[in-house]
Amino acid sequence: MNDEKSDILNGTLALMTLRTIDVLGPIHGYAIARRIEQVSQGVLAMNQGTLYPMLLSLQQAGWIASKWGVSDTGRKVKFYSITKAGKKQLAAETENWHRISSVIARFADPKGNLS
Amino acid sequence: MTRIRTLLSRVLAVFGRAEIEVEMNEEIRSHVEELEEDYRRSGLSAQEAHRRAVLAFGGIEQVKERYRDRYRLPALDSVLQDLVFAARMLVKHPGFTVTAIVTLALGIGGNTAIFSIVNAVLLKPAPFPDPDRVVMFMTTGPGTQVSITSPARFQYLRTLSTIQDVAAFRMGDTGVLTYTVGTATESLHRAAVSAEYFKLFEVPIVQGRGFSREEDLPNGPKVVLISYNLWARRFASDPNIIGETLQLSGEPYVVIGIVGPTFDASEFGPVPEVWTAFQLDPNSTDQGQSLQAAGRLKPGITLEEAKEEFKKAAADYRQAFPNALLHGVGFSVEPIQQALVGNARDTLLVLSGAVSLVLLIACANVANLLLMRATSRTREIAIRAVLGAGRGRMIRQLLTETVLLSLAGGSLGILFGIWGMRTLLSVNAAGLPRVGVDGTLVDLDWRVLGFTLFISLGTGMVFGLIPGLQASRSDLNPSLKESGRGMGATLKQNYFRSMLVVAEIALSVTLLIGSSLFIRAQLALSAVDSGFQTTNVLTMRMYVTKQRSQHTAEVAEVVNEGIDRIRSLPGVVDVAATSSLPLQLAPGGPFRIIGRPLVSGPFHGGALWTSISSGYFQVFRIPIKRGRAFTDRDDASAPPVVIINESMAKQYWTKGDDPLNARILIAKGFAKQFDDEPERQIVGIIGDIRDRALSLEPGPSMYVPQAQVPDAVTARGANNFPITWVIRGNVAPLSLSRAVQEQLRQVAGQPLSEIQTMDNVVSSSISRQRFNTLLMTVFACLALALAAIGIYGLMAYSVEQRTPEIGIRLALGAEAAEIRRIIMFQGMRLVVFGIVIGVPLAFNLTKFIQGFLFGVEPRDPITFVTIPVLVSVTALLAVWLPARRASRTCPLDALRYE
Repeated sequence: MNDEKSDILNGTLALMTLRTIDVLGPIHGYAIARRIEQVSQGVLAMNQGTLYPMLLSLQQAGWIASKWGVSDTGRKVKFYSITKAGKKQLAAETENWHRISSVIARFADPKGNLS
Repeated sequence: MTRIRTLLSRVLAVFGRAEIEVEMNEEIRSHVEELEEDYRRSGLSAQEAHRRAVLAFGGIEQVKERYRDRYRLPALDSVLQDLVFAARMLVKHPGFTVTAIVTLALGIGGNTAIFSIVNAVLLKPAPFPDPDRVVMFMTTGPGTQVSITSPARFQYLRTLSTIQDVAAFRMGDTGVLTYTVGTATESLHRAAVSAEYFKLFEVPIVQGRGFSREEDLPNGPKVVLISYNLWARRFASDPNIIGETLQLSGEPYVVIGIVGPTFDASEFGPVPEVWTAFQLDPNSTDQGQSLQAAGRLKPGITLEEAKEEFKKAAADYRQAFPNALLHGVGFSVEPIQQALVGNARDTLLVLSGAVSLVLLIACANVANLLLMRATSRTREIAIRAVLGAGRGRMIRQLLTETVLLSLAGGSLGILFGIWGMRTLLSVNAAGLPRVGVDGTLVDLDWRVLGFTLFISLGTGMVFGLIPGLQASRSDLNPSLKESGRGMGATLKQNYFRSMLVVAEIALSVTLLIGSSLFIRAQLALSAVDSGFQTTNVLTMRMYVTKQRSQHTAEVAEVVNEGIDRIRSLPGVVDVAATSSLPLQLAPGGPFRIIGRPLVSGPFHGGALWTSISSGYFQVFRIPIKRGRAFTDRDDASAPPVVIINESMAKQYWTKGDDPLNARILIAKGFAKQFDDEPERQIVGIIGDIRDRALSLEPGPSMYVPQAQVPDAVTARGANNFPITWVIRGNVAPLSLSRAVQEQLRQVAGQPLSEIQTMDNVVSSSISRQRFNTLLMTVFACLALALAAIGIYGLMAYSVEQRTPEIGIRLALGAEAAEIRRIIMFQGMRLVVFGIVIGVPLAFNLTKFIQGFLFGVEPRDPITFVTIPVLVSVTALLAVWLPARRASRTCPLDALRYE
């Protein structure tokens, strides 16, 4: 896998994950993966395993917290929830995303006026 | 911020790694199972569901690896990896490891030992607040100074403007008081101190108070402070002790205070148990040097300013008290710590220098060992380089190994060092100041630990970096092509290792020359003719009660009765009493020759002064050269007499002018207690003895009959110069001890102390020299052994490397003797180089130990010839072993080596 590409993807994935946890948390890894697949409606296909190293990074950064619990199917899983710092980060990242995506949208618009 | 958090959590993860791993596996397993279950529910077979689940998850092992990458700390991780690898390497080569660690432990241990003494003597701050500001009064002479002054000078100097809280006291030899309850009598160490002492040293007084000004005046009330220890021991910590009266040396003293246990005066000498007031006369004109004094620099005053003021004061003092100061004598101050340490500093500096050379040699040895191993590891290192290990990483790996080695060596060294030093000091504390009784104050504190850690790491870096750099620089290709046995020891590496061995030889030659000079000085000292015979002489001290000591006649009675009783004991040949023994501190005094015109000042000269009973010269077999010895008839009622030694006769009387016709007047007008001193007729001249020190030429000495000493002198001397009994027997002297003590107890009822043979007195007088000699010898032998091991190692390795070559030579018909010759020549060439460097080095360094030498020149030709020979012979042996092995090489085996 190309490193740069994975970075961009990771950034996007991180934002989506944080958002998911913020809305649905506490929530376990498998449910996060399902949710992201659902929301992206299969457009964004990913290896679900990618999620875990990223969850670890988010946790190390102090944006999410985890707790062991039992899933609906009776398995021992970790439930993730967002922290205060995570909410702040999410707000910042979301705003950032909007800015960038609006810029990209203008580029991408076929009738766009670049002048 | 986020970065720091991440880093922190990674660092913490180091400690919970196993747990994290378990959690990660658990979480991933659950996820895959959920996936599998969902697939199954959608109608897939179990097998297909599993396949799809793993596919969707995307490579379980890759995910785990990426997960691990995130919780791990790469730098720390590789350090741990290095450590584990290093430890494994060291364990795998136990021979190498043990040799290196022991070598380092010897080097580091020696340095730790010496440093622990340096720490106790020179570095540790004195045990009272702000010791740097407390200065001691010094009396300076040409090139010397002593921390002792006279009552008159003390009273004059205490008023100077640069100092405050000036106190008088006597450190070390404090004297004792006896404390009697019922029939039991105990000697207590007493410190006579002036009132300001408690303020100057900020002595904690836990109950009561210190002395008042009035109590510190002559004939003031008898009051005493007792130590916390004595209070607990003898008085069961009685809370009502203040105000109680104790009988001390037969006189009543009122207890006014208890000195707290935190006041640690042990480094000043025997720990005082009672403190009495000095009671100095404020108008004293006494010039006898009998006390010590110290004060605190006033705020804002520098040491230099105080020194300047004292220097000026000497000039004023000369005017105020004409003739009180001999020519060239002046005043100064020194920080108390420096004043107390005195010449021990030089001893410690020399020993530190010597022991650091040992460490250098040890380092060279270990570096050589490492180089040797590095060459045989060339292939390993080359392979690792090929596999992508960076140079920095490889150097770090090698450094980790050496630092690990040196830390192990350092830990062992601390044990060696502390244990060795304790043992050494308990056998011979060498009169070192501040080390406590038997060196118990020499301790392992943070300074010593820090020092050892520092030199361990330092040596690890130094001897590790060089081989590390060399090994990692090696060109990969030849190393890989060669057979694994490491023929690739390049010329350069051999050259470097040879230089290390040359340095080792040079340093050990230097050390050996130094130590053999010490040994020769020691031998000269032991062989010196002291002028008195010490075998079979027993000595012991006795303090008489204060009441008795006021009158010479009463002391004379004790002396006469004691002598009579001891003489009648079986085994006793001769017995006498004296105020001081040869080689122990004796007072000196000026004298005037009656009828001779004075040239400058009121005296003609000065001499050591000893009061003795008749029979003293007999006990020590000191010959009477002219005139007569004292007899029992030289008592208080007889005409005053004095005996002088040959030095004094020679120095002050010219030929044709017979001292036996002369009379002298001793110290009258100089020290107050000599006010009643009569003119004395010289009745005898004895042979010179080395009474100051074995290493010092005899100087003028005078002896007066104990029974004719002025009362004031007897009273004054009672504490510092108690009666010392000397008994010559025809049996082992200590076997007489019990009977003698019993007799003396019946005479005076006083306990005896410092019971020892005169041989012991002599050997303690040179304990510092013996200490130096012993340590220097140990260090030099270590150095020689290490150097020998070093050259042996180098040659043995070189022979092993050259085995194929030797095999070919032998196969081509070379003689075994020829092979031996080649190897020997190769080795001995290095030895000669080492000697050629070492001898001039020693030639230039020995001047630093000149002050310690006696009877031998620092450039003693015998030493400078024998030591190189000794080193050559030792090295010859070390080289001969590998040479012999080389010559016995079987050509067939050697060629098969390839």
